[in-house]
Amino acid sequence: MTKKATSSAANMASSKATDEQISQARERSRIADPSQAESGHQAIEWARRSSPVLDTFVRAKLSDGALTGRRVAVVVHLEAKTAFLATVLADAGATVVAAGSNPWSTRDNVAAALVERGIEVHSTRGSTNEMWEADLIRVADCDPEFIIDDGAELTIRMARDRPEAYQRLLGVSEETTTGVARLTELQRLGRLPMPTVAANDAACKHLFDNRYGTGQSTVQAILALTNLRMSGKRVVVVGYGWVGRGVATYCHQLGARVTAVEVDPIRALEAYTDGHQVSDLETALGSADFVITATGGIRALTARHFDALTEGTIMANVGHHDHEIDTPALRAESSEITEIRPGVTAYTRNGITTYVLAEGALVNIAGGLGHPTEIMDLSFSVQALGCHYLASTDLEPGVHAFPPELDRAIASAKLASRGITIEKLGDDQSDTLSEILDADTFESWGTKP
Amino acid sequence: MTERNQPEPSPSEADQPELNQAESNQTEASQPAPVDFGRGMLDFAGRHMPALRAATEYVRAGGRLKGRRVGVALTLEPKTANLAEAIASLGAEVAVLGSSNSTRDEVVAALREQGIAVFAEAGCSPERSLELQNAFIDTKPELLADDGAGNVRLMHTDRRDALATLIGVAEETTSGVRPLRVMEAEAALEVPCVAVNDARTKLLFDNVYGTGQSVVMSILDATNLQMQGKHVVVVGYGKVGRGIAAAARALGGRITVTEIDPVEALVAHHDGYDVAQLATSVMTADIVITATGIDHSLTAAHVAAMPDGAIVAVGGAGLGEFDPDEGPELIHGDVVRPNVRELIVPDGPTVFVIADGYCANTSAGEGNPIEVMDLSLALQLRALDYLAEADLPVGVHLLPPEIDDAVAASQLAAAGIEIDVPSPSQRDAAQSW
Repeated sequence: MTKKATSSAANMASSKATDEQISQARERSRIADPSQAESGHQAIEWARRSSPVLDTFVRAKLSDGALTGRRVAVVVHLEAKTAFLATVLADAGATVVAAGSNPWSTRDNVAAALVERGIEVHSTRGSTNEMWEADLIRVADCDPEFIIDDGAELTIRMARDRPEAYQRLLGVSEETTTGVARLTELQRLGRLPMPTVAANDAACKHLFDNRYGTGQSTVQAILALTNLRMSGKRVVVVGYGWVGRGVATYCHQLGARVTAVEVDPIRALEAYTDGHQVSDLETALGSADFVITATGGIRALTARHFDALTEGTIMANVGHHDHEIDTPALRAESSEITEIRPGVTAYTRNGITTYVLAEGALVNIAGGLGHPTEIMDLSFSVQALGCHYLASTDLEPGVHAFPPELDRAIASAKLASRGITIEKLGDDQSDTLSEILDADTFESWGTKP
Repeated sequence: MTERNQPEPSPSEADQPELNQAESNQTEASQPAPVDFGRGMLDFAGRHMPALRAATEYVRAGGRLKGRRVGVALTLEPKTANLAEAIASLGAEVAVLGSSNSTRDEVVAALREQGIAVFAEAGCSPERSLELQNAFIDTKPELLADDGAGNVRLMHTDRRDALATLIGVAEETTSGVRPLRVMEAEAALEVPCVAVNDARTKLLFDNVYGTGQSVVMSILDATNLQMQGKHVVVVGYGKVGRGIAAAARALGGRITVTEIDPVEALVAHHDGYDVAQLATSVMTADIVITATGIDHSLTAAHVAAMPDGAIVAVGGAGLGEFDPDEGPELIHGDVVRPNVRELIVPDGPTVFVIADGYCANTSAGEGNPIEVMDLSLALQLRALDYLAEADLPVGVHLLPPEIDDAVAASQLAAAGIEIDVPSPSQRDAAQSW
């Protein structure tokens, strides 16, 4: 049993950052603990290992110099996968500054590792909302040209608090359903002066990240935080968008009985057709073991629902906002509040005890390790190429779709990394309209060479 | 396989703290003191243990454990601590033994606050562990809930002084029942034992659902990887292998089962899994999970044939099932993240092993889900009561089916589930020929 001589973490820290960049990053950053950098490097290297698209295909696309010298703000949940994205952008020549998109999701070891690689970071785990807001303003004050945003958190703060720097922005690539909705609203209000890319709406993002990524990681986080069993549980999923679908699917497949709650009749019908029960929230809460909010809005579960909560119900949120479960209202009405296990807080209201996981922040990220790495490889490939597209293309202000050819290229790169070959359409397999219109008889369709 | 039928890992000092601080922990600043979490975790587990509660009330009504000295030698964590507290609540004198590498300090503190004698020191030396075990046996338990038959065997050898006062032993694990049966066959056994492990309410749940979910989840938690599209090789299709294959498939894995038993292999085939030989299966594996209960089931030779980056985990009996020393030399590399070590085959792949080959669910996670252990521990309590009541002859006994049924029924009742009873004509039909 020989021990390998070299530390792989030392190799992985090799970056293109200059000593000056590193010392500047150290000076300007606000992080919790620089001494945690070693485990942060390891976590980033682990993310790299399972991110073949970002590490090869995207790196190659970014090597054309379009991002060289560009100031890019990365404001996404600051953990290992995001950090790897930041290093890929930095390696492509961008000046990257990073902050978390949520006060609860930052990994301090990863933040420390980024600083050692010359990337400026403003984020600590479990910071107050005020500190988090202040971090975002510090990022804004770096005068970014491009933002890789999550929930449009930095974009809307710059629009509000740093209007001049906001005007100077050259582009925003947005990660989430919530953020795209916000950008679209900004555009409607005439307050979106720069081009933006709806990275969320790329197929390689929402079909995988929102559904499979959130689905698996949410189930994982809930089970790890509680040490409970999924089989036999009655699970209420509030919101049946891509995230809700994924969560419902994995709960169901692990043996839970799922009730979906929707406001949209088409989505409700889809949930019903997928084999789930569908009902209004109040009815559903009457027999819920787990309630998982996935609406992307706020106060999906709020004061008017509290009376329907039953003893022992466990609530978790996977939507973007921390207040999708209205914990401030629950707190105000509770006689006793205790964190009884790490990440599990008991609220006693009118003699009924219920539980909220991870303070109501995104349970898979604040209470777990976030999405699986391979899924984020796809999402962040979209984000990196979205940023590159903004930097290399002359676009009108507004919300733009992610180019479909890039979407397909990402999927192809991912398939290739798994050694998967797919079928090609033959010349004789297409059915053209002119062929039908010009056909003399039914029998002669498709027989022309 | 279960909470207690395997040795716990002894993670090196350098590796383990990261688990909590670097990746798993979330709100360091807002965490209460450990003793508060101990009570909180214990009570949270307790509220999901209706079968244990029902068993406790049944045993209380009989009054047979009142005033008895009861020894509980189990992994000291929130679920088993509930068993210890339940026994204490019956008026028994409880002594608890915990091993050096699986004891949770906050649970010990919570138990001691209740006046329960705890013989456990997390991280103590083997010598100190033996001292603690002897001090535990010094309490002269009349009834013993044993872990892998470790104490009952010592009481048949070095500590025969404690044998005379021992009324009976409830043994829950496969690895404990096996030596007891050997002792019985060799006429070396001198005390009645109940093989709780063999109860239906244990085998059908703990080993299948408990281990299946918890092994798969612990691998995903340790690696932060996705299951969808993964080629997962499950080595062994017994109860544990069935559970692991089902949980991995539920999350989108593509499963290949390998077996040495033609009947089990045929079951796997009928369950819709690929069935193939291990040596070829590992060549395209993303994750290989052993569930055989037999040492040397997966070796360095298999590792050398795996693709670069494959994950190896043990879900069965624990250490030994994966033997890194059989076959070409493996270089044991760094712990690249908590509970994940790289194994390097010179001129071959780098593969990652979960928890150094200890059982993944107990070593890289919190073990089986609470509700599953509720059943197992309720059976354990009923077994102790049965031993106190039945005046059994020396030997290894099964738990009576009516106790098995009662424990299952109590969890159904707690879930509000009612089941049918056979009609008189059905009964007649079932008994006619």
